[in-house]
Amino acid sequence: MALKYFFVLLACAVVLYPLLWMVTMAFKPHPEWTTVAGLTWFPENPTLQNFEFIFFGRAEGLVVSLDRTIVGPLIASLVTSIMGTLVAVVCGTLSSYAVVRFGLAQSLPLSVLQLRLFPPLAVMIPVMVMWSFLGAVDTWWGLSLIYGIVTLPFAFWLMKTFFEEVPVEIEDAARVAGCSYWRVFYRITLPIVKPGLATCALFVFILNWSDYLLALLLTQRDWVTLPVYMATLTSAMGGQMYGMKAALGVIAAIPPVIFGLMIQKHLVRGLTFGALKQ
Amino acid sequence: MTDQTAPEISNTHAKAGYWTRVARDGQKMGFWFVLPTLLLLVFIVVFPLLMQLYLSFTWWTPLEGIPWYQAWEVFNWGENYWYMVTDPRFWGALWRTVLIMIVAVPAQFFLGMALAYLFIDQFPGRKLFYSIMLTPMMIVPAVVGLMFFLLFQGTGPINDHLGLPPEFSWLTDVNRAMISVIIADIWQWTPLMFLILLAGMLGVPSDQLLAARLLGGSNWQNFVKIILPRMKTVIIIALVLRAVECFKIFDLVFIMTNGGPGVQTETISVFLYNQTFGELEWAYVATMGLSILIALSMLAMKGLSLMAKK
Repeated sequence: MALKYFFVLLACAVVLYPLLWMVTMAFKPHPEWTTVAGLTWFPENPTLQNFEFIFFGRAEGLVVSLDRTIVGPLIASLVTSIMGTLVAVVCGTLSSYAVVRFGLAQSLPLSVLQLRLFPPLAVMIPVMVMWSFLGAVDTWWGLSLIYGIVTLPFAFWLMKTFFEEVPVEIEDAARVAGCSYWRVFYRITLPIVKPGLATCALFVFILNWSDYLLALLLTQRDWVTLPVYMATLTSAMGGQMYGMKAALGVIAAIPPVIFGLMIQKHLVRGLTFGALKQ
Repeated sequence: MTDQTAPEISNTHAKAGYWTRVARDGQKMGFWFVLPTLLLLVFIVVFPLLMQLYLSFTWWTPLEGIPWYQAWEVFNWGENYWYMVTDPRFWGALWRTVLIMIVAVPAQFFLGMALAYLFIDQFPGRKLFYSIMLTPMMIVPAVVGLMFFLLFQGTGPINDHLGLPPEFSWLTDVNRAMISVIIADIWQWTPLMFLILLAGMLGVPSDQLLAARLLGGSNWQNFVKIILPRMKTVIIIALVLRAVECFKIFDLVFIMTNGGPGVQTETISVFLYNQTFGELEWAYVATMGLSILIALSMLAMKGLSLMAKK
């Protein structure tokens, strides 16, 4: 038993080690960012300077200033992630219901899954040509659309497993009582799978929020998302703004961790496309 | 009134065509339900693939000064494909991607398996430790890249612990850059293996495990003879999932090393990105993208048919 605790604690320490370094760095003033003047695990002079700097573009005691604050990218991240989630969840829910209940488009599950197999970069040239043709580069809807498409497989397969758990007898009963198909879906089935729907939405949101590559390819300035902004901050300032970057990283990391822990129970199902349940 | 309507309803029900009509209505609604997804698929798969095929046979770049649909003016009879086959940078990137895959995925698997075995029984604090163990995979990959970028700085904590001078670099060293990237990937994705394998382990019928224990099987025997055979599907799923995702690796590498030093950590995704924005060789990128798609599809078909046999 003692041995077990030793290993569990060791594993947790390994997990927390990089996290701790970043989180504490976000609250450290400049001299403590590196180990030149000695390693400090917890900030000796805790400060909110880093956060102040990225939110307002300047901070007391700092000579440098930012021409772009975090506010724009934060809004961009929120808008595109939420809209992308909406696209994926709506399309995924409707089509998986049709596949499960009416046996339509039997090849759809596999072709949707294939979307997930390929590296996005392998299909990016046509997408970039199309997006610029449609005027969708660096717009909120262009990024939302590609997010919706890329995360559609997860929404589809997740909702498929939830629909498969709804007993068909309930729907039949409602139908015999004279409900139309739409009414059965809307009034009976959807409320039953509501928790599943919420799980699915949170799961897809995490995936969209975590994206870096698509935003890097399809945005330039106005709709740059948080991770891309974080990376540009690096290069623009010669990579020496560790504290600010750490503060940005903390902000970007918080929502998915909270949501992820909320849907912990369904993570296995979501990540394995419904092949496994917990 | 009610007396009159009731038989009417049952009458309509009794009519032969009623259920077929109802079923047809269902099909109709189902059609509208599938339509958006089908349109999206056509929009993102069929059309782009055709465009990619077309562009891959030309010299077209965005600097060409002609729109993409006029790319036939610079048609080159598949020279891109020949160039790709003989491009050492392409094969190098492919090899490095596979290298990361064959080092990181098994490492994640064994670590995940060991961790899952630790968590199979209840113990005080299990829920808290479990949540902690899951955090890495929920963190934005780009942020994980940043975290390890900070850790592996010359003046970062790793060098300090190991007593190495700040000149000892990780991310700009020919060999250690790759090691750093692999460590970061293992850190982030071991929890995924752990999560899936634990779910599979908990799915092993506990009475069988108990019976084996009562019969005097050692822990190791129980693990090999009882748990492992019953986890076969789970193990395959976990490995395939990780391998597929690992092949796409981009964020970590791009933020930590940007493919450098030189091309020492350039994976296939980073290479495609650099060709797209650095060299602006869009037609060539289309060629490589299409080839990768075809190769992966063939692998997937092969894998699926193997699974169907079992």
